Amino acid sequence: MVEIRLEQLAHAYRRGGAYALRPLDMTWRSGGTYALLGPSGCGKSTMLNIISGLIQPSEGRVLFDGRDVTALETGRRKIAQVFQVPVIYRSMTVGQNLGFPLVCQRLPAQTRRKRVEQIAERLGLGPMLHRPAHSLTADQKQLVSLGRGLVRDDVAAILLDEPLTVIDPQQKFDLRRILKEINAEFGVTMVLVTHDQTEAMTFAEEVVVMNMGEVVQSGSPRALFERPATRHVGSFIGAPAMNFLPADPMGPQVAVAGTGLAMPRPDATEGRFCLGFRPEHARLVREGATMSGIVTRIWFEGLDEILALDHPSGEVRLRAPAGIGLKPGDQAGFVLEDGALRLYRDDRLIA
Amino acid sequence: MYRQKYIFLLPGLLVLIAVILFPLIFTIRVSFSSWDVYNPGLNDAGGAMYARMWEDARYWQALWRLSLLSVATVLIQYLLGFALALLVWRDIAARRFFRVLFLVPMMTTPVVMSVIWRTIFHESLGPLNPILEGLGIGAQPWLSHPGFAFVAVIIVEVWQWTPFMFLLLLAGLLSLPSEPFLAAKIDGAGPIRTFLSVTFPMMGAISVGAILIRAIEASKIMETVYVLTSGGPGTSTETVSYYIYIRGMRDFQIGYSAALSLTYLIIMAVALTLIAKALMRLMVRGAGA
Repeated sequence: MVEIRLEQLAHAYRRGGAYALRPLDMTWRSGGTYALLGPSGCGKSTMLNIISGLIQPSEGRVLFDGRDVTALETGRRKIAQVFQVPVIYRSMTVGQNLGFPLVCQRLPAQTRRKRVEQIAERLGLGPMLHRPAHSLTADQKQLVSLGRGLVRDDVAAILLDEPLTVIDPQQKFDLRRILKEINAEFGVTMVLVTHDQTEAMTFAEEVVVMNMGEVVQSGSPRALFERPATRHVGSFIGAPAMNFLPADPMGPQVAVAGTGLAMPRPDATEGRFCLGFRPEHARLVREGATMSGIVTRIWFEGLDEILALDHPSGEVRLRAPAGIGLKPGDQAGFVLEDGALRLYRDDRLIA
Repeated sequence: MYRQKYIFLLPGLLVLIAVILFPLIFTIRVSFSSWDVYNPGLNDAGGAMYARMWEDARYWQALWRLSLLSVATVLIQYLLGFALALLVWRDIAARRFFRVLFLVPMMTTPVVMSVIWRTIFHESLGPLNPILEGLGIGAQPWLSHPGFAFVAVIIVEVWQWTPFMFLLLLAGLLSLPSEPFLAAKIDGAGPIRTFLSVTFPMMGAISVGAILIRAIEASKIMETVYVLTSGGPGTSTETVSYYIYIRGMRDFQIGYSAALSLTYLIIMAVALTLIAKALMRLMVRGAGA
């Protein structure tokens, strides 16, 4: 239950080598839920391992509640970390697994037993306390890893390094629910690393999108969805991805040729422009379309259908209610909701 | 259906018969004869050879000695091998160099090395005793005193085969996943607790494998004894296979040595199976999951 502050934190795996993590400043409030989202190799796990102390950062400081812990060894940071692969101590029972951090703290057996029982009860592992840990299913093993963190009464934060990747879909759902409940109940700061946008968006209050060792955008899921700071965020978040079409300054506007898509022209006009909008913000119309094109593909998605439209300036995708009766080859047009259009210059949001 | 499958099995089957089944059955047959240098040939001696074996104290002593020798050498090899593997497991300077260096004894020819060790142990000409004298320990009767000769055999065996243990255990250590170690770090475990709770349990299966391979090899200890002490002084370092060699190849008591061999085979098969089972139960918790 601490506030985590990263000050000018950066890391290169080799001295003088390329940054795996570029200098960044960030504050995560106590009890919050955060997600680090990005493709493999973007530096999100590096960041997590720096917080837990498995990696010493080459620059900057890590502060827990204002206290500098950069040099503090991992075991003393009171962190729980759950890894992608469920980690259990195979030679021990579930109960011994859960009690291991307390054994390391040299707590008396009675205290240990009480804590372990409490946590096991909370995580639904109560009936399995005496079973060998290796006989559990993958999601139960993840709960044991989580429990080993929670069992310390002074746990500072729970770091989750893609903990749901190897879990079956149904159990994934349950595990995510349990994580949320634990967060609410214990008020413990949680940081989730993932490359699954749905996971990040449903879990966290604040999502930190990373790419190439850099924080690209950090904000609430809604903010990321509505106003992606870069093309990368727009493409990475939302399914289907945000549409981007190249645009050119035309008179007082920046517009996509051959369409009605236009935004007011900014003062400076150097650079590459493009306009972006979410497939969700488009509405199919028979007349008065802002833009139209040939339907090239249609995906089924339950109540919705995703349409791909071909236009000389590029392909766009739209989300439309199912059963509109279009088929590939048809001409289709759409209008956008007010304020749905975003203007990017050199792949960065400017309006 | 698929009757042709037997044709494909045939080559393997033939090899099996030629290499294992025929010698085995022949040995069984020979053990019930009194084939020796005076009466060569397969006659019917009933269980005479087995009765003789039952009374042969030298054989049972050799068996007991071999058990002691095997347990002692394999245990020391395991402990040393594990320690060495742990030393060069993590990033240390010149790690590759040490890994190769530790393997050198295994690459040498056992018989040749036994000859060299015999020279080293030689009580008046070898280099070991002068060194011990220089250290103030004094010269020792390495090959002429029963106890010392036994220790000498153990030293040579350990020297020769620890690298094998080291190799297997190092391979095992290198194949361990890193997450449990990270988790132990996060849980606040120190190096000793990490070893006892994480490293050692995870090494259980490979340890059993390595120990068994060495135990099987050790149960056949022969050339070291042959070269180093010739079983002496007296019979104090004689192992079963060496005694069988003396009876069969030197005294040419084929029938008797067949009975000895067969008994030895059965005892070893049973003993090693029991050892394997016990080790599995002891060291491999969570096997099969």
